[in-house]
Amino acid sequence: MPDRILSIAANTFRETIRNKIMYAILAFALLVIGLSYFLADLSVGELTRIIVDVGLACIHFFGVIVAVFIGITLVNQEMERRTVYLILSKPVRRWEFVVGKAAGLSGTLALIVLVMAVVLFLVHRAYGGRPEAGIFIASAGIYMELVLLICLASLFSTFTTPVLSAIFTIAMFLVGHVSKDLLFFGGRSDVPAVRWLSEGVFYALPNLENFNWKNEVVYGKLRSAGVLLNAGSYLVFYGGAVLLLACLLFARKDFK
Amino acid sequence: MPGTDRLVELERVSKSYPAGFWRRRVGILSELSFSVGKNEIVGFLGPNGAGKTTTIKILNHLAIPDSGKVRVFGEEAGQSPEIRRRIGFMPEQPYFYEYLTGGEFLRLCGHLYGMGRGEMNRSVGEMLGRLGLAGAGGKTIRKYSKGMMQRLGLAQALLHDPELVILDEPMSGLDPMGRMEVRNLIRDLKTAGKTVLFSSHIVSDVEALCDRVVMIDRGKKVAEGSLEELVGGGGVQYVELVFSPVPSPARLAAVSLPPDAGSVLGDAYVVKAHDTEEANRLIPRFREAGALVRSCYPVKKRLEDIYMERVARGDGRERAVPPVGS
Ligand SMILES: Nc1ncnc2c1ncn2[C@@H]1O[C@H](COP(=O)(O)OP(=O)(O)OP(=O)(O)O)[C@@H](O)[C@H]1O
Ligand SMILES: [Mg+2]
Repeated sequence: MPDRILSIAANTFRETIRNKIMYAILAFALLVIGLSYFLADLSVGELTRIIVDVGLACIHFFGVIVAVFIGITLVNQEMERRTVYLILSKPVRRWEFVVGKAAGLSGTLALIVLVMAVVLFLVHRAYGGRPEAGIFIASAGIYMELVLLICLASLFSTFTTPVLSAIFTIAMFLVGHVSKDLLFFGGRSDVPAVRWLSEGVFYALPNLENFNWKNEVVYGKLRSAGVLLNAGSYLVFYGGAVLLLACLLFARKDFK
Repeated sequence: MPGTDRLVELERVSKSYPAGFWRRRVGILSELSFSVGKNEIVGFLGPNGAGKTTTIKILNHLAIPDSGKVRVFGEEAGQSPEIRRRIGFMPEQPYFYEYLTGGEFLRLCGHLYGMGRGEMNRSVGEMLGRLGLAGAGGKTIRKYSKGMMQRLGLAQALLHDPELVILDEPMSGLDPMGRMEVRNLIRDLKTAGKTVLFSSHIVSDVEALCDRVVMIDRGKKVAEGSLEELVGGGGVQYVELVFSPVPSPARLAAVSLPPDAGSVLGDAYVVKAHDTEEANRLIPRFREAGALVRSCYPVKKRLEDIYMERVARGDGRERAVPPVGS
């Protein structure tokens, strides 16, 4: 990685960890994870299993909030506040800026997901659960999904406003969890055009269920390395394609 | 002396932006051409909205022209990052990452310029000192005043000792002291062999500093040249004569001045003569009318007058706010 990308990534990471809102969200997330005991009390079933269940959902939920928040504000903000002028007038290629930003944000998300996962692991232990490595494996899946969302947010940021970028990113997140169902229903149609269309849409839209291993962890069925590898390569190819598109759009951008 | 090699060349550059609901394109620059020679200080003048910032953005490849050629160091603008290492750019009202300290920001810039660690640390300290920010390097930019931001903007543009310095309104937001410092800084850059292009609407700053001036209005060039070329003919606009005591109306009539050439100012009578010859013809006639000459002063034509001629009165258009020039 060239030094310039590293500098931009490091600066982006620094920006997020100096952001007070981030700490507020993180503190709230940790509180909810810590309180999952009380949530569990209302439900039926095995206590520790439900702590993992609720905790992972919590990591997922807050992770998405943070990803959308920093993905949108940071990339769009650079253009709105014109800090981007100071960076791009230096010997920096435009794609290096996009990649550096995405790398820095991914670093922040790694830290946040790790902190939440460690807290969940400890809470789970405190309530008498066995050491559960699955928490970290499921969190890794959540993290990969968040990185994909960052790539999408960067793409939307290159051509639209912060609010629209946020809406598009959240829409992608929602659709990304049901795109497989779309394929399923579309595939049952008698009209070939509908089948092709649903298949085309399925491959164009992100399939975020690729990264969802929460249930397997809760029910004690750890995923095999093959599935992890599969998810990793999906992230590399799909996320890479999205980021490439973002770079291409950004390269032609005329700054206001 | 303007060098033969041109560091910046614009050739018939046009730029438009889509505007309004139908995204109709509105022309911002039309067929703008000018150049900046090596080791020149060139002032880029024009009223608000003339297109100065747009032109400067095009030079830095932040905006892309619709048509025309833009060459910097002989290469098409924005083609290679290596060219940008030789340029220092300060945008208009620069805005920084406010969570960084001034020093941290300059070090980030140093990294992006590809400076070595030793060179960078030395240069950051030097720049902070030179721009009067020595005590502020460790302060977060959020706490900077407007003038401090402006100074930091200059510091980041000069950090890597660039050959070509492009500044968009470097004096705006500065106190008189700060403006003086920036003037001196720009002069020092020229002495050090650098080339400077800066925009401004403060005519006196441009007049005091520049070898050459490029004046634009509504996206079109209205004047280009050295100060002497623009002001022309030795630059004397008229000769101001002050006589006292004020002659009586009857004796004044005998002097037979052209209409509007004279006026009473307190207990003196002020006359505008076209040139020194006319002044010399007038002096004895006033002596006969009983008034003695107290002062005789050639009033030079200033850049501001040219500016008013070419810009404010251009095409019989009226401006709600006259351009600032003081
Ligand atoms: N992104 C944009 N979209 C549409 N119009 C724009 C855009 N940027 C600038 N303009 C218009 O272009 C014209 C020139 O703007 P520019 O900022 O270049 O002027 P300027 O000479 O720098 O003025 P000032 O002295 O006020 O800084 C203005 O009429 C402005 O409204
Ligand atoms: Mg401007």
